[in-house]
Amino acid sequence: TSGKPSLTGDSDTVSLQSVMLVGDSGVGKTCLLVRFKDGAFLAGSFISTVGIDFRNKVLNVDGVKVKLQIWDTAGQERFRSVTHAYYRDAHALLLLYDVTNRASFDNIQAWLSEIHEYAQQDAVLMLLGNKVDSTQDRVVKREDGEKLAKEYGVPFMETSAKSGLNVDLAFTAIAKELKHRSMKLPNEPKFKLHDYVKKEVRGSGCCR
Amino acid sequence: RVDPYGFERPEDFDYMSYEEFFSRYMVVLTRRAIKWSKLLKRNNGVQKSVKVKRYIRKGIPNEHRALIWMIVSGAQANMEQNAGYYNKLLEGEKNDMLVEAIKTDMNRTFPDNVQFRKTADPCLQQTLYNVLVAYGHHNKTVGYCQVSKDIIKKTLFLFQGMNFLAGYLILITKNEEESFWLLDALIGRILPDYYSPAMMGLKTDQEVLGELVRMKVPAVAELMDRHGVMWTLVVSRWFICLFIDILPVETVLRIWDCLFYEGSKIIFRVALTLIKQHQAFILEATNFPDICDKFKQITRGTFVTECHTFMQKIFTEPGSLSMATINKLRETCRAKLVAQGSTNNI
Repeated sequence: TSGKPSLTGDSDTVSLQSVMLVGDSGVGKTCLLVRFKDGAFLAGSFISTVGIDFRNKVLNVDGVKVKLQIWDTAGQERFRSVTHAYYRDAHALLLLYDVTNRASFDNIQAWLSEIHEYAQQDAVLMLLGNKVDSTQDRVVKREDGEKLAKEYGVPFMETSAKSGLNVDLAFTAIAKELKHRSMKLPNEPKFKLHDYVKKEVRGSGCCR
Repeated sequence: RVDPYGFERPEDFDYMSYEEFFSRYMVVLTRRAIKWSKLLKRNNGVQKSVKVKRYIRKGIPNEHRALIWMIVSGAQANMEQNAGYYNKLLEGEKNDMLVEAIKTDMNRTFPDNVQFRKTADPCLQQTLYNVLVAYGHHNKTVGYCQVSKDIIKKTLFLFQGMNFLAGYLILITKNEEESFWLLDALIGRILPDYYSPAMMGLKTDQEVLGELVRMKVPAVAELMDRHGVMWTLVVSRWFICLFIDILPVETVLRIWDCLFYEGSKIIFRVALTLIKQHQAFILEATNFPDICDKFKQITRGTFVTECHTFMQKIFTEPGSLSMATINKLRETCRAKLVAQGSTNNI
């Protein structure tokens, strides 16, 4: 119901922006959110998400407070009719797959068509390949993720909720994009999400 | 640090006030245990009757819980009429996708319960796996029982949330075949298609609750409307998980006692009691996230921990709530949802 993002009365605060986490069951949506929100990862302490839930977090982006309302959804197919209703209010969506689970990667196209059907056309979208800490179990190569992301023109990065790799970056990048969109300062250079992600992203291998 | 069911108590668990409550509750439990053992010594002790209903509302002692749930839900009768059926399901051919879905949730079902840890001995994960695998394949079979035949004809049938229901049943019965038949009683008969692919029963009941709140606690309904909060957001887990992980374990079990005997109406009674009791508190909310937060907070604290008083409240606080009213609301809400095309999403 909130429509376009806009400035609130407070000149250094961007009004509430809603971000949705989507992707197959078990890809790590809740873990990613908890890592970002609380900086914690407790192995084996997460329960499967039923329905939909959200947490708020305020990020400081270049001196401006951006309030994110992050929606965590159940990945299982039958819950989608419940979560569809929330797509249209999402300013951004983080679409996750699990690099140790081929099926979750193969389903990305189905998720994308769902997003195109239900979300706002101008919603910010980013593809994340999660669980890259599990190097031995990896079945989806980084190149595969990159290729798919390029095909759909979506920024991409690999993450690990366990090690924390790129988790803050994913949310910060989204927050920056949303901030720039809502403030539109005349003298500011246009923010390029793709370039920013490419520049800031860290690999899971040697360069960490 | 661990409660009698194996759940680890949170770091900030208030032992003082819990002890204070429990010492009072022990008196009730003892009195009920004596009454129940007398009742069960008589023949036909648990035929449905006004007396048994009253007894159940006052709580089934844990040592009899599995037995009474089995009898009053009809699970016992179904199990006896279909001897060997459960094992046949386990021995039969398995669907890979279903097995995969079940495995995904294995480590995510009660990680805070020591009995469900991989390292536990005996480990209830295998039991849970069996019950879910059997249940997932069970509904493909047509014709073993009237109700299931009508509701489910095709496809695999597993659903996030079911793992929690099955987990609780296993903790109480300590028997996988009984857990299976109780799960069947809950999902196949007691709950109106909450767990069907389109979740129409669930969506309907969420709207029904909304209407009941409009009738009984109008200010809260108005608040929800004003801020555009959909009921599904704040209550879907109440319905899907039947208050597991929402309310304290002992309170959930007391609710389930009534649920198995009296049916899904109990869910509305609990929900309405929570909302009505905390009306003033909920109305303090001034925005969307605030409202959601209030709905989380009203499920915590002494009001819900004191399960015996709470269960008395659910039969008085919401006022009269006839099955006729609920059925009528279910009909109109379902029709509205169908008109909105909510079945087409799947």
